[in-house]
Formats: sequence, structure tokens, C-alpha cells
Amino acid sequence: MVGTIGLRGIFIRFGFLLVFAAFALFFAVVNPVFATGGNLMNIAEGSAILLIVALGMTLIVATGGIDLSVGIALDFGAAFSIVAMQSYGADWVTACAAGVIGGSLVGLLNAALVVGLRVSPFMATLGTFFIGSSVQRIFTNGGGPISFRQMPDGFRNLAMGNVGGVPMEVVIAAILAVIYFVVLERSVWGRRIHAMGMQRSAATVAGIRVNRILIVCYVAAAATCAVGGLIAGASIRMFTPLSGFAYLLDAIAAVFIGAALHPRGRPNVPGTIAGVLFLGMVVNGLNLMGLNFNTKDALSGIILVSALALAVAQRRMR
Amino acid sequence: MSDARIAPPSFGARALGSAPLILFAAMLVYIGLNAPNFLSLFTLELILVQSLPVVIVCSGLSLVVMTGGDDVVSGGIDLSIPATAVLCAGIVAQWLSGDGGLGLATVMALLAALAVGLVNAALVTRIGVTPLLTTLSMFVAVVGINNVVTQSRRIGVDHPAILWLRDADVLGWPVSIPIALLVALALYHLAHRTRLGLHMQATGGSRDAAEISGLDTRKLQALSFVLAALAGFAASFFLLARGSGSSPGTEDNLLLEMVLATFLGAAFSPRRVVTLWGAVLGAILVAAISIGFKSMGVDVFWTGLIKGSLILIVVAFGSVAQRGR
Repeated sequence: MVGTIGLRGIFIRFGFLLVFAAFALFFAVVNPVFATGGNLMNIAEGSAILLIVALGMTLIVATGGIDLSVGIALDFGAAFSIVAMQSYGADWVTACAAGVIGGSLVGLLNAALVVGLRVSPFMATLGTFFIGSSVQRIFTNGGGPISFRQMPDGFRNLAMGNVGGVPMEVVIAAILAVIYFVVLERSVWGRRIHAMGMQRSAATVAGIRVNRILIVCYVAAAATCAVGGLIAGASIRMFTPLSGFAYLLDAIAAVFIGAALHPRGRPNVPGTIAGVLFLGMVVNGLNLMGLNFNTKDALSGIILVSALALAVAQRRMR
Repeated sequence: MSDARIAPPSFGARALGSAPLILFAAMLVYIGLNAPNFLSLFTLELILVQSLPVVIVCSGLSLVVMTGGDDVVSGGIDLSIPATAVLCAGIVAQWLSGDGGLGLATVMALLAALAVGLVNAALVTRIGVTPLLTTLSMFVAVVGINNVVTQSRRIGVDHPAILWLRDADVLGWPVSIPIALLVALALYHLAHRTRLGLHMQATGGSRDAAEISGLDTRKLQALSFVLAALAGFAASFFLLARGSGSSPGTEDNLLLEMVLATFLGAAFSPRRVVTLWGAVLGAILVAAISIGFKSMGVDVFWTGLIKGSLILIVVAFGSVAQRGR
């Protein structure tokens, strides 16, 4: 393929990026506000929680599984931290720890099912999703939000603070993205995870402790999603049951768009970031166009399908 | 999952294998003893009528799984069927509320279902997107389109034909039950009694072997997605009848129940594969459990917990029994 110039070659190398750019250009022309620095920061801020959830999803998809319970881990993160502060008067650091531990419980259940009982990840995390949703309904007596207006400033800053003008949630998402990138793409651990995801039996024969890695991955992914839950809770100052579900499909889509952009079709952190930013840009751009809520939803769904098709087609043509 | 062994399963494995059925039977007996009117013809009717939309979408899904193989992530799966069903119901309801005729409404819904099926088929067999991803994103897109069609409103339907499907009796049974049974029978006939169906099953059993024997596996898989979308179309009328119209948000519950029932059905089958009758039985059992717990006075918040635990128990039994062979 070296040296091929022409439309096909350009499409294969840059297809998705070109479409990304075309969309950006289109939105900028329709509404000049789109391309301003402030709005680009809005996109980053709006995508932060999705990126955090999608990072966890990237890890699980890299092990060869899928996690349908990311939203539950996010909800548990928000619920545990807010209840810790409201009912037990915990300070904000303890509350964060409680949230992350609460979210990790979801990962532990998944790990027990996938590793201990060898249930397929799809069915195991679907079961966890049912159970986790029901637990939230029971706990909140049917799904009413738990609001906590007087939260400590430290906790509130997770969503409202900033570091040198960069919103705190963007900073947190960026730090997590760097950690995930180093672990998954640049460390021995990451090699092992990818090896396991590509061929489990070969990885086992090669002496990789598959089960131990799987347990760590499920717990780590859930803990990551719980961090997203902390931010979500801090930004609206309440815990809304079942709100994490909204991130599930977008996270899966972002991970697989990212995987399709990878030369060997593997889920990877930079690809996931590209996928998340693409989805964030589309939502933001459609919002700025002032479309009716339903139309906007339908359009972003159609764009999602097309983006996936394009990303996969681009990889297949290599 | 698909390694065929010639030796018959051991007694222990067989006992473990029938555990899901025993568990369900025990649970139904428990409900029957604790809920006063559960073991009555009236409740049975209620359960069956309630389960019909799920029965139909499950039948469609099992065709896709049979043709694509039973690995949930890389094999065949169609999560967009509930969205298709809701879209078709939305189109019919919207058209009828504007004083349109049922005939034209049906044709438009049918065309919409065909379009969804064809897009799924093209994405999976031409472009090579995995079925899980294709149909998950199509679910989002189709639900979005339905919300544009209906403007996210509930639309009541009082067309005589839909009311007939809801209320009419034949030999003392609601007419919708035999009609749904006929749809499921037709799909069963297609899958198990026709050459085409056997070719589809061969594709799911081993794609390589099917290709070597000269089958056009791409075309067969494409066909399975179109048939699944048509099952969604058929289910839409039962949705309209059950809900006396179309309501936004029906798709989420239908999706969860479809997946639950279909894979529960697989746990009942001797070889742990998705089968059409297994899926139908699964759908009816799920409805029975839901209605049973409701009539026992169990809080509705708990049903998700119970359903989730059931999937896990049944699937875990399945994987343990598989290993015990």
C-alpha cells in the first residue's frame, strides 16, 4: 500500500479524520459560536464523564469482554459518596473513597461471575445491570433522587473547580486517560491484557495469569466509572438513580470507533478519546443548531451508525 | 460453546442441566401456593397475552442467533428488534391518529421494518461491523426516529382491527394467542423444516464448513436480519393491542425481556444453544414470574433484582454443566 495516492488511499488513511473535520467545519459554518475557544472547552467539559466511562469500557473490551454495567458502577459511585456525606457526615476525601469503593463492588460482582462462575461477560454484566438497577430502586423507594445541597466545597470542586482555567472534570479525565494510556499501551501489564483479549488460550499457555488480570480489570474499570459518578454527583449536587445508563451506549460506540481506527482493530486509549470527542462534538454542534429535541436525538443516532460504519469500512479497506 | 462431544453427558451433568427448569418449576409452585389466584385459567391467559410481543421478538432473535452463531459479542445478535417493533407501532399509531387507513399504515410500517433489516444486513455482511455493535447503534437510531415520528408522545389507538386483536375471543381464548402462535410456528417451520432454514442453521453451526459446502453464508446472514426486522414488524401489532396504542420508552423493557427470555431459553435446551421454542418458553416464563410476583404483592422495584439473579443463576448452571461434561 506504500505510495498509493488517490481517493482510495486518502480515505483509507484519513477517512474518519476527514469526516471529523468535515463535521467540525459544517458546525462552525452553521453557527460561528461553535469554533470559539469557550465552546471547545464546553465540548471537552461535556465529554469528560463519558471519557472516564469509556476508558473503563476500553479496558474491559481489551480483555475480550464487554461491560454492560458501567452505568451501575457510575451510579454507585455517586450514591455511596453522597450518602456518606449526607447521612454519615463524612469529609469529602472519605466520601470520594466511599464512592470509589462502592463502585468497585459492582466490578467485584462482575469479576466473581466472569472468573469464578465463567459466565460470559455479556450475560454476567447484563445480570449485574438488572440487579444494580433494582437495588437503586429499592434503596431510593422507586427512583427518587437524593439531593444534598450543602456538600463540602472540596467535593463540589470535583465538578465546579478548575486548574488554571481548565475545568476540574477535564483535568481528572485527562489524568485518568494518561494513566490508562501508560498502563494499556506502554506497560507489560497492557501487553498481557491485549494478549489475553486476542487469544485467551495462547495467553494462558504463555504463563499469563489470566484470571488475576481479569479480576483486576473488572474492578479497575468499575472504580474508574465510579470516579465519573463522583463528578456527576458533584455537578448536580444529587444522586439520580439509574442516570448512568445514559453513558452505556455512547461508551461502547466510542470504544469501537476507536478500535476501528487502530491498525489491528484493537481497542486503544487514543482511539477512544477520538471517539468520545467525535460524539461530544456532534451533540454540541446539533445543540447549537437549535434543533427540536427529538430531531436532535434521531440525527445523533443516525450519525452514530454512519460513523461506526465508516470507521470499520476504513479499517477493512487496509 | 460449540464443541460437539460424542459421549453422552454424565448423570451429574444431566442433573445440573435440568436444574434451570426445576428451579423455574419450583418458583412457580411457590408463587402458586402463596398467591391466591395464580393457578387459574384467567392468570394463564393474562400471562400469555402479556408475553406475546416478547414471544415474537424472541422468535426473530433466535433466527439471527441460529444463523450467526451463539457468541454474543462476535456471533449473531440483533438488539434492534424491539426498536423496530416500537417504530412500527409508532408509525401505525401516528398514521391512524391522523385519520389514515390501517392498510397504508401497515404498508409504511412494513417498509420501515424492511429498511431497518436491510441496513443491519448491509452493515454486518457488507461492511463487516459486528452484529452486536451494528444493532446496538441501530437501536439508538431507530428509537430516535420513532421519537421524531411520534414526538415522544403516547398515542392511543382505537381502530377496530387493533381492538379486535386485543379483545376478541376464539373458543374462549383471546384471539391474539393463536395468531402469535401461528407467527412463531411459521418461523419454526422456516428454521427447521425448510432447506433455507437448515442452511441458516448450518451457517451458525460452523461458518467455514457451510462456506466450503457452497452456501452463500453472507446472503443467509443478511436474510436472518431482514426476517428479524419483520418479526419486529409483526410484534408491533401485539404491542399496539397490549398497550391500546404506542407509548415512548416501551423499547427498553422489551429489549431486556427479549435478551433475558432468549438466553434463558438456551439454558433449557439440552445442548445449551438458542432455540426458537426455548426462546418462546423463556418469554412465557419471564411473564409468569413477573405477574406471579406482582400478584404475591412483591414490590415492583424487586422484579429487576429477581430477574437479574435468575439470569445469573441459570447461565451459571449452564456453564457449570457445560464444564461437567
